[in-house]
This record gives sequence, C-alpha cells and structure tokens, in this order.
Amino acid sequence: MLFGVWGRVARPEVVRAAAACLLSAGIVSLTSVPAVAQDTRAAQIAEKQAAKAATLEPYRPTRFEAVMNALEQSFASPPSGFYPAFGSVYSGGGLTLGAGFRQFYGRKAVFDVMGLYSIKNYKKIEVGTRTPWNFDGRWTFGARAGWLDAPQIGFYGVGMAADADDRANFRIKQGYAGAMASFEPTRWTRLEADVAFEDYNTEEGLGRAPSIETRFDGITAPGLGADPAYIRTQGTAAIDWRRSPGYSRTGGYYGVTLRNYDDVDETYSFRQLEGHLIQHLPILRENWVISVRGRVQTTLDDDDVVPYFLLPSLGSGRTLRAYSTGRFRDRHSILTTAEFRWIPSRLALDMALFYDAGKVTRDRADLDFNGLESNWGIGARFHGPTATVLRIEAARGSDGWHLVFSTNAAF
Amino acid sequence: MRRPHDLTNLTLLLAGALAVASLLPMADARAQGGPKFLSDDPLTREPETQDASNVQEWEIGLASDLVANLFGKPGDLTVNLRAQNANTIDEVPDSSWFTNRIYARALSAAEIAGGPTTASGPAPGKWTLIRPKSAGVAPGFTVRDEEGQVWFLTFDPRGYPVAPTAAILVASRLFWALGYNQVESHISTIRPENVVIDPSATVRAHGKRRPFTIRDLDEVFDRSARNPDGSYRVQAGRALPGRPVGGFKYYGTRPDDPNDVVPHEHRRELRALQVFGAWTNLVDMKAGNTLDVVITEGGRGIVRHYLQDVGSTFGTGALAPRDGDEGYEYIYEGGPTWKRFITFGFAVPRWATIDYEEHPEIGRFEGDAFEPELWRPRVPVAALAHARADDTLWAALRVMAFTDDHIRAAVETGAYTDPAAVELLTSILIKRRDRIGRVYFAKINPLTKFALDESGMLTFENPSVLAKLSEPPAKGYEALWSRFDNATRASQPIGAPTSGQSGRLEAPSDLPRADGTFIKVSLNAVEPEHPAWAKPVDVYFRRAGGAWKLVGVERMNGEG
Repeated sequence: MLFGVWGRVARPEVVRAAAACLLSAGIVSLTSVPAVAQDTRAAQIAEKQAAKAATLEPYRPTRFEAVMNALEQSFASPPSGFYPAFGSVYSGGGLTLGAGFRQFYGRKAVFDVMGLYSIKNYKKIEVGTRTPWNFDGRWTFGARAGWLDAPQIGFYGVGMAADADDRANFRIKQGYAGAMASFEPTRWTRLEADVAFEDYNTEEGLGRAPSIETRFDGITAPGLGADPAYIRTQGTAAIDWRRSPGYSRTGGYYGVTLRNYDDVDETYSFRQLEGHLIQHLPILRENWVISVRGRVQTTLDDDDVVPYFLLPSLGSGRTLRAYSTGRFRDRHSILTTAEFRWIPSRLALDMALFYDAGKVTRDRADLDFNGLESNWGIGARFHGPTATVLRIEAARGSDGWHLVFSTNAAF
Repeated sequence: MRRPHDLTNLTLLLAGALAVASLLPMADARAQGGPKFLSDDPLTREPETQDASNVQEWEIGLASDLVANLFGKPGDLTVNLRAQNANTIDEVPDSSWFTNRIYARALSAAEIAGGPTTASGPAPGKWTLIRPKSAGVAPGFTVRDEEGQVWFLTFDPRGYPVAPTAAILVASRLFWALGYNQVESHISTIRPENVVIDPSATVRAHGKRRPFTIRDLDEVFDRSARNPDGSYRVQAGRALPGRPVGGFKYYGTRPDDPNDVVPHEHRRELRALQVFGAWTNLVDMKAGNTLDVVITEGGRGIVRHYLQDVGSTFGTGALAPRDGDEGYEYIYEGGPTWKRFITFGFAVPRWATIDYEEHPEIGRFEGDAFEPELWRPRVPVAALAHARADDTLWAALRVMAFTDDHIRAAVETGAYTDPAAVELLTSILIKRRDRIGRVYFAKINPLTKFALDESGMLTFENPSVLAKLSEPPAKGYEALWSRFDNATRASQPIGAPTSGQSGRLEAPSDLPRADGTFIKVSLNAVEPEHPAWAKPVDVYFRRAGGAWKLVGVERMNGEG
C-alpha cells in the first residue's frame, strides 16, 4: 500500500505539483515575517498597507447583518404593504394570527385592512384609519369598521355563585363602525371620545360546552335571544403618566369612562361608568416594582336591562387571571390587583408574583371588599421599552390552575 | 474505491504541510533574532501610505451591531495581546485616529475650552434645512447657514432642557483633549420662523422617501424643549470636511481602506476608552456614534476616524437622565440576570443602592462610589475587552493630566444655566479622575518619563506619587543595568543594581558610551502596598550623537 502511494507520488505531474506547493508555501512564510525585510518601522507598516491595497474588497454585509438591518428598518419605520398580524378577535379566543395591509399617509397616519383567525375559529376583518398627529400633536383621530365572529364564548350564569361546571357557550357575530377622537391638553392628561354603531347577532354556541339556550333562559341570562344594535357613545378623562400603556415600571393611570349603549330598538339601552386606577411604585431604582390596580364598573340605571354578553365581567388574562373569560358577570364589578415585580433584565424580562381579587354584584351597594374571589400566580413578561411582547402567567384560583398567554400588559 | 485525483490532492497536502513545517523554525528564528529596535523607533506618526479615495460609504446597522456585541464575541479572541499600534516606548503615535495632546504636551485651560473649534457657531439669519436627522433619538436636523456652512443641529427634548446639549459640548472638549478627532460643537439658539426648508429636502418614512414638509419641521420643534422667549437651544455641530463613509466598528478593519491594517480591538486609543468612557460615563459607545471621513492629504485619500457622538455622557441620555444601571451593567448580562431571576430580585445590584448626585442639567452622576474597573458601556465593546494594564495605565496618565482648571474650563463650555451644575459636574469629574489614577496606577508599574543624561543620571516620574495618590515607595526604587544587543536581543548585566529613594538613579560608572550602544534598565519600586510595582519596567536607551535616546519601554515583558 505504502509503495503504491509513493509510486503515484513519483509521477511527474505529482512531483511538479508538490514542488509548486513547496514554493508557494515558502513564499507565504517569508512574507509573514516582514520584520526581516524592512529596516524601519514605517516601512514595515507601509508594506502591510501595500499588501492590503492589493487585496481590497468592498464591504458586503453578512447575511446576519442584512437580515438585522431589514428588521431594524421595518421596526423603526414600518413600510406600507402587507404585514403579519397578531392580536385578538375576542377575549378567550386563543392564539390568533392574521395578515394585514397598511398604507401610511400624511404625518404618521395609517390606513389599515386586517384579517385575524384564531385556533378556536374566531375571526375578524377590520378596516380603519388613524391619524395621530393633528393640531400641534394634541389631537388624534381614528375610524374603523369591521365584522367579527366569536363562536364559543363562555357563559356561566350571573353572579358570583355561577358554577364553572355550568358553562355554556354562545356565539356572537358583530358588525361595527365608529370613530374616535383623543385630545391631550397636557403631557399627562387625556380626553377621549368614541362613537360607534354596533350590531350584535347572537347564535348557538359551538365547542365542547353546550349551547347557552340549553342551560339558561331569559331570566338567568338577561337578553338571551336578543340581537340588539347599539349606538355606543363613550367618553374618557384620564391622567396617565406611565411611560407607555404597553409596558411601564413607573407612573400611574387614573381614569374615568362613561359608556352609553343606546339600543336602536330602545329595549336594551343602558349606561356604564368605569373608574380605573393603576400605580407603579418602583423600589431601589426599579429593582423591584409594586404595581397595583383597582377597577370598578357599574351599570348606572337599575331599571335598565343589560344583555348578558355586555354585563361587567371578571375572568380573563387581564382581570381574574385564574378564571376563564367571562367567568363572572353581573351588573357591577370590582377588581383589585397587586403585583410584586422583579426585573431580571431591564432590556427584556420582568417577573411577577401577583394577586387578583374581585367580584361582580347585582346591587351597587354590594361593591365592597367582602366576598371577593381571588387568585394568585407567577408570570414572566418579555418586553421592549414600551411594549409587552409576550406575557406568560400561571394563576391559581378556586377553579384550579390557569395558563395565560398574552401579547399585552396585564394592566 | 479511491480515484486518482484524490490521491494527488492528498500528496499535495502532505507536501505542503511538509514545506510549511520545514520553514516555520526558520521564520521563527528570523523573527526572534531580528533587531528589536529599528532605526526610526520610536515611531511618532503612524504612516498612511496608500490612497484610500475609493473607500465606499457603508452603514453599520444599529440592531446587528448591538446583537453582535451583546451576544457574540466579535473580533480577535486572543487575549492579553499588546496593543498593535503602540510604539516601542509604549506610546501611541499620531494617526488618522488619534493626536497626542494632553499629557504629551502642555495644554492650557483655554485650549481645552476651545477644543476642536476653528470658528464661531452658525451665522445668524435664515437657516436652510437640507436634511432631517437620520440617526439617534434626539430631535434635530441639518441646516446650511447664510454663509453656506452646513451644521448638524441637535435639540434638547421637550421637558428635559440643557442636559443633553451641554453634555455634548463638555464631552467633546474632553475627548478632543484626550486626543480623539471631534466634531466642532457650539451652543446656539434657533427660532422656527428662521428656518427655511430646502425644496430638495426629503425624509424617509415607511420605506419611502418623500419631501420634508413644514409639518415634519413642526414635529421636531414639538418634540424639543422651548425657551420662554419662543426660541430653542441647539447644539450645532459643524459638518466635517471630507466625504463621510459611515462609522467604524470597534473590531476588525475596514475591508476597503488599505491603510487600516491594525485590527481596531488592538488599537490602544480604542482600548483606552475603557478608562475614558468610565471617567465621562460614555455609555453609548457604538459604531453608530462614530464616523469615518475621507479627506485628501498629500494628494492621497485618507480615512479620518471620529468619535462623532459623545453626548450620552455624565448623567444624561439623549432624552432623559440615564437609567440607574447604565455605566454599571450591560443592557443584557447573563450572570446578573439569572441571579436576579432566581432570587426574586434580592441579588440587589450595586447600582440600585448607590447615591447619585442628581441635577436636572446633568442627570444622574456620581463620583464617590465610582469604580472604574467595574464600569461598563450599555453594550460590550470588543476593543475594551482587550484592554490590558499597560493600555489602562496609558489612558490613566492622560486622565490624570487634566488639572482641576482644565476640567472646569471644559465644563463651562456646556453653557449650563445653573452655576451649581458647573460646580457639581466639575467636582464629580475631579473625583472620578482621582479614582482612575488611584486604581490604574496601582495595577502595574507606572513609572514614566524616563531620561538618561550625559552624566549617567536616570530620571523618571512616579505619577502616583506625583499626584499625591500614594506615598513614595517605602524601600525606594531599584535599577538593574544591562548592555543590550539589539541584533540578538541578549542582555549582559553592567555592575551591581543601583537604588535610591527618588526619581533619580545614578548609572554604574562603567556605562558603555559608544555610538550605537543600547542600554537596558529594569526599574522597579519596592512598596508593599503596591505589589504590582515590584515587577520591573524595562527601559531601553540608544546612544546616538553623544546622547542617550529613549527607544523602548516594556511594562508587561513576557506577557503577550
């Protein structure tokens, strides 16, 4: 075998190739020790520069750099055109993906068409526009219209006594169109007005739970079978000094919202008032943050009939987190939350231990801190400077454990 | 079954390896055996011999730069390498990167206050907006004044006046004095009615370029801090001469610049930013804050390198006071992150408990708890990771060369509206300066300013003692004298070691004095409080023209 190899080496073309290799290797080695070729330091450097001049090449971004540059531009100033959409059709709809087309115009204004679809077969299409910079940047206007279909929304009955085993599902198909205006008199104050036409159609629910009409009637589920259409008007006055509603470690929000649902058939008209307080209290330069929230929702006129699907409710990834969406519904609600947050990475990761407590009541006089349903839990929030990208939480309440996956801040 | 050409390749590989192996010992011997000092040592100017006119503009993406530095280890991974652009006396020659100023020569306070300025700020009158600001988060745009000079304007953000623009002014003076190329900066005021939009001005938004409009201009003013009289305070940076070609990375070399042959992580003036950055709290040290410009010198194109934006310094960012962790921790750091994660935050970081001096015109800055070695920019910088004790000493010597008056003169250029801000910033910089001297002069034998006179008297300085940061070494200084053969690099002792208590040591009487002779002096200080001083610094002199010339200083002999 060995002789065989050397026999091939001895062939003339192989010898020539080996000699060329030896020669070239020798040249490379010699030029790699220019110290002996030059007698001044400047000449040594000049030789290196001359060598580089002979092999100059233009800069070409690596594939990694090209991808990152494209992402950076897309985030900094998203281009007009198609885009992947993430969001929610209706609370409790599960993982939702979609696509949209947007066209930017004017000054940071955008026209947007979007479609969403969830793993629970919830779907929505919406067209809208938003112009955030008007009259010295203090006014924002917007308009949107759309249609959604949420086929398996849970209903457990009215009041705190509602049993998890009594779950029934209902379906809502809703068309809507509306406009909004927001005014910021000062940096921390905000006034908002919103008017919309909302046309609700309720149908038999899908999914594993039985449909609502098989378990509930018009007494236990007010407005069951009704398909009201509303002119909804809404006004909010708020002080908001958080860094961003999407993610904040400091500041607070103190707002009041009045909603007027005016049924075009004048059967199910009602008004709701909501007060909402949020406070973030940083400790040791935001090494920890205590975040607290209080929210009260109340139906103003006792004689008004509020359809079961528009009653104030608790239970969801943003209220009582160990309970399914709409687990508790009634004419009034109170919700309190306290979070102990610690910040492993200020760039991207918050952790939190949280405690939520709240209740719904038939009478406003019962809006107190007695008999609250509660849960506790732990969560991780992946965030940017002003937005929560992913919130994963495990919450434990009297219904057991509940996992929350969300792309929004809890509050 | 092996094909014939496979065997041929194998043969070539073997032969090539044989050839390389046979030549390696020769190369090594020649490299080691060549003269240690060449005729032009020590080099005082880094030559740039090739024409760099064809260098093309590149854009270093913010995100890719951040990710590469935060989660990767770009550049040379070899540690403890001597800075490759340091000359034989452990100094940095002047170059397109760096000009020896403070420490190398006497600078007056007025010179430091003037910094890179060559003239006054923008000419009064109408300013024509020619470009929007394309980088950074601070509001701003580019104008041409009535004399045709182009200026980059940066505003203070709404609700946070003075601090960001003042920091740019002060820091640019300090970094200019330290030796870096700096943009000429002025504080000026602007009124919206004095801005005219050039019809050709465009802005890139949502993937498209469109004309810059009065509404875009309004937005800039809306985001900016307004003076009571309706004017706006701006920092005006004079456009640099030459053709901008993008920033530089803190590692590697620019592929199309023939003169850029020293990897940036091995350039001492970039490694030294560990110290200068710590002193000034220059946390936003990224490629995007640098700028390369092609200028013409001697008929050739040369790339000149600028630390263009040194504004995120002291206690301020571009939009608000700096966050508590800035200067203490990278924006992501695995170890502290995991510690905090598993301890519910009870692994309290140091920055959370330090008392800051807070002032609305300075931000959050302090000097009492300052630990320069623990200082960090927002994102790891490859060049800083390579800084050795000789690099940080080099830098500390420059920081310590700033007198109190120098610092005050620089601070006063910030045009602070509150005199207390000047006092506070000056005092903090003085404290941090002294802390830098105390730390870095103790890490390595710091003796410097060596000279050997005709009488055979060796003089030198101990900067730590000179600055009254430490007492003279208890057992004085000791020198071991040798004749040095420059060709073979062999040393032969001359006489017995000499010693003394001050910075003057007498040479042995039989010191050779023939022209061309080399002398090596290994000099150390014996001070129990500073064990690093016991390691000698090797100092080399060459006899030429009847005098001794310093040609070599080696502080970390045998290390890298």
